[in-house]
Amino acid sequence: MKKVLIVDDAAFVRFAMKNMLEKNGYEVVGEAPDGSTAILQYKELQPDFVTMDITMPGMNGIETLKEIKKFDPNAVIVMVSAMGHENFVKEAVLNGAVYFLVKPIKEENLIEVLSKIIES
Amino acid sequence: MNTKGLDDAVDSMLEMFIFETNQNLEQLEQITIQSEKNGAFSGEEINDIFRIMHTIKGSSAMMEALEVTALAHAVEDIFFYVREKKPEKLDCSILTDLVLNAADFIKTEIDKMEAGEKTDAIAADLIESTSAFLLQLKQINGEQPAKITLPVKPKPIQASTQKLSSYIDLDEPVNVFQAKITYKDHCEMENIRAYTLINNVKGIVGELHYLPDNILEDDESANIIRKNGFNICFTTSKEYDEISVLLNRTIFLKELELEQLTDVTECSYWPKKEMLPKKALPEQIIAKGEEREINHPSMISVNVTKLDILMDLVGELVISEAMVTENPDLQGLDLDNFYKAARQLKKISTELQDGVMSIRMVPLSGTFQKMNRIVRDMSKKLNKQAELVLVGEETEVDKNVIEHISDPLMHLIRNSLDHGIELPEDRKKAGKNPVGKITLEAKNAGNEVIINIVDDGQGLNKEKILKKAKENQLLYKNESDFTDKEIYSFIFSPGLSTNEKVTEFSGRGVGMDVVMKNINAVGGNIIVNSEPGKGSMITLKIPLTLAIITGMTIKVGQSRYTIPIMSIRESFKPSLDNILVDPNGNEMIMVRGKCYSIMRLHQLYNIVGAVTDFNDGIMIMIETEKTTIGLFADQLIGQQQIVVKPIPAYIKNISKTQGVTGCTLLGDGNISLILDAVGIVNRV
Amino acid sequence: MAEEVMELDEDTQKDKYLTFFIGKEIYGIDIRLVTEIIGIQPITEIPEVPVYVKGIINLRGKIIPVMDVRLRFKKEFLAYNDRTCVIVIEAHEIALGLIVDGVAEVLRIGEENIVPPPEIRAAQNKYIKGIGKTGNEVNLLLDCDKLLTDQDEAAIVDL
Repeated sequence: MKKVLIVDDAAFVRFAMKNMLEKNGYEVVGEAPDGSTAILQYKELQPDFVTMDITMPGMNGIETLKEIKKFDPNAVIVMVSAMGHENFVKEAVLNGAVYFLVKPIKEENLIEVLSKIIES
Repeated sequence: MNTKGLDDAVDSMLEMFIFETNQNLEQLEQITIQSEKNGAFSGEEINDIFRIMHTIKGSSAMMEALEVTALAHAVEDIFFYVREKKPEKLDCSILTDLVLNAADFIKTEIDKMEAGEKTDAIAADLIESTSAFLLQLKQINGEQPAKITLPVKPKPIQASTQKLSSYIDLDEPVNVFQAKITYKDHCEMENIRAYTLINNVKGIVGELHYLPDNILEDDESANIIRKNGFNICFTTSKEYDEISVLLNRTIFLKELELEQLTDVTECSYWPKKEMLPKKALPEQIIAKGEEREINHPSMISVNVTKLDILMDLVGELVISEAMVTENPDLQGLDLDNFYKAARQLKKISTELQDGVMSIRMVPLSGTFQKMNRIVRDMSKKLNKQAELVLVGEETEVDKNVIEHISDPLMHLIRNSLDHGIELPEDRKKAGKNPVGKITLEAKNAGNEVIINIVDDGQGLNKEKILKKAKENQLLYKNESDFTDKEIYSFIFSPGLSTNEKVTEFSGRGVGMDVVMKNINAVGGNIIVNSEPGKGSMITLKIPLTLAIITGMTIKVGQSRYTIPIMSIRESFKPSLDNILVDPNGNEMIMVRGKCYSIMRLHQLYNIVGAVTDFNDGIMIMIETEKTTIGLFADQLIGQQQIVVKPIPAYIKNISKTQGVTGCTLLGDGNISLILDAVGIVNRV
Repeated sequence: MAEEVMELDEDTQKDKYLTFFIGKEIYGIDIRLVTEIIGIQPITEIPEVPVYVKGIINLRGKIIPVMDVRLRFKKEFLAYNDRTCVIVIEAHEIALGLIVDGVAEVLRIGEENIVPPPEIRAAQNKYIKGIGKTGNEVNLLLDCDKLLTDQDEAAIVDL
């Protein structure tokens, strides 16, 4: 079972994504409401994937991404962004995010992204 | 798939959404009002508002509340602009109104969702005014209105030097492929998707070129890809099949056209001849972020109904325990070990009870903070100036107590502002600070919480209240016998408003009598103090919890009743010498030289088979703010901690009885009705 | 799977009525509303309620109000005996115990065998949804919603 760490400041989004993932055979090993927790949890849990919200209080998603990448250059991080935030997404992708998802997150999109990433 | 499970998931998702959005809205309101007070939005506040709106936008889109999404987006846009451009000219007051209006709209919609109604309100007007504000903001801060751009220019990222990119040559890149990728409709940001595609193939290609070639620099390229697809052409050592598999893995792929070319010259966008400097993909830029202190208390949120169930269970446990340890079968037996074990059980169940209660305790701060908004809105409407000071907002009370006192508090604050605080000019004339001050203060006092609402307004008008009370025939004794406190407490009587004109706020159909009723309903009490010209202080005494109270259980006929110990002053065997009867047949009792009315519980509730002779029964002195009476019952059964259970809804609907607030299960399985002192006293 | 079972349950319960006596008459109540049937229990009286509300009972820790259906139909009070039953129903999240003279059986009455009640005359007709026929017997089918919510009588009871 692939292990996923969900990073999002909105508990609701974490909850919804967790539902979607678990329904599709992923194991959600951790949920982090902010960047610093995410880094800690990443180090501890070593998930196969991270879904990372971009807009978060404190350390934003891109800074968090950079930190995780510093720790594990092979980290598979999928950014989660709202529409209209092309610049952040670009910056994230340039900094090593594997892919991105646009909110509102739909189950089929989330699963397609993750399964395609597994394939490659 | 189990549909029930699915429904549950949807339900809890909705629940979560509502909970979190409400929390966000509360925070939003606080921040906004605070900023308005300060006259400016701080950087942090702007960030917070932006983030809250952003979160609401994302979550509501998932719940398909599209109007909410659109409105949150519009507000988010303003704060995005403010955050990035830091405009000098910013009307905080208008912006505050915009944000609060938006918050109100969203709140209404969320409430509808919670009630299972359709979210059908249209936010178009609000969105329009919000967008108009942004446009104007841009104009007055010297931006071209016509130009529609992203609020920020793309940061110069390294990719911009990557036009007509070429990558490191691999061994013998002999094959040439050309591909056209079409993405699924509505997948958005196609240009960035294209960029990730290039990232994915970079390891296996020799030289690679693509069209449109400005995918990262220009977001317009997303439209072009949407229309014409994304074209790439590259050299590689891999074979057709491998390439096909690889490209077919493209996420959100709608269509792939892949063909093998014999030479790169067949590709129309392949650069002619001259080799470009080899360049690798931009390396990851690793920022040197400083180590941050990480210190999070681990918290979980729990559904309140689960806590209620837990509380109920603990209640059952306490009752079962009593049923075991006080079992009549044990009478006369010498059971040392049994009682030792029973004491241990009691200790643990008491600790468990305390533990569960403490989980249910929440600070008053949320409720207190809400009052900021009320003071703000009302001062604006009434042309008054007032400052709200919150003291002791960290004081904790049971969750369901909070629910019951929120509305009364709101009403009392409104009342202070409306009737207490004077207009600024009047305050100046009286030598006061034109800005009125309302203090909302909470503190613990044993098993109670005391909440004071203090204002420095004009105070209550004793003569006016007394006159009104007389007109309403509320005087229950000689006019001159009334103490100030007693007179002031008339403001909580129905139909007594000393203010001639009904204002929008105080005159909303609910009066102070409702406040009193609500507070009494949770076993609380209200005391009023006032000094003409100086101000008023209203004190609420609220029990810490509604779930468990200490009560005295009494017997009348075959029925049992429990009276909260808080309301009992004393109880004794009455002596006939101290009992008087007036010409109308009203019975009274003399206690230490004072005379009190007697209420016979069996008469009040038509209980058959009860003791009627004073010599055989017991007199319980019940004390309330208003007065003290003697309640006559058959006998006392005993004092104990009881778990309060609500009267079933069906009974509440059909009965108008006053004086019974709940019921409880006794150790023997019988039900006892919990009496409310205020309700009983009002029946005299 | 679970879904199938649930559907089955719904199906087997449809058109089924629990019948009970009040005097000589037989009434039916939609079995889907019935949560359990118990013997008469010690009742705690509640002051100042309509006469047909006998009070509340403690059903394994749950407090449930009980209504004497006889009195609700303005019939004479009959002392409770060992045949007296309490039918606990739940509708609109309100639980209520109905005190009846006795419980008869569970009957299946198809919609085709149910006719609307005659013109409203007697007090109890107010609470009759229809008249169900099975063989030679006639069952008066109760409208529990009305039984629960109808309050005009309650309003008249002076406190």
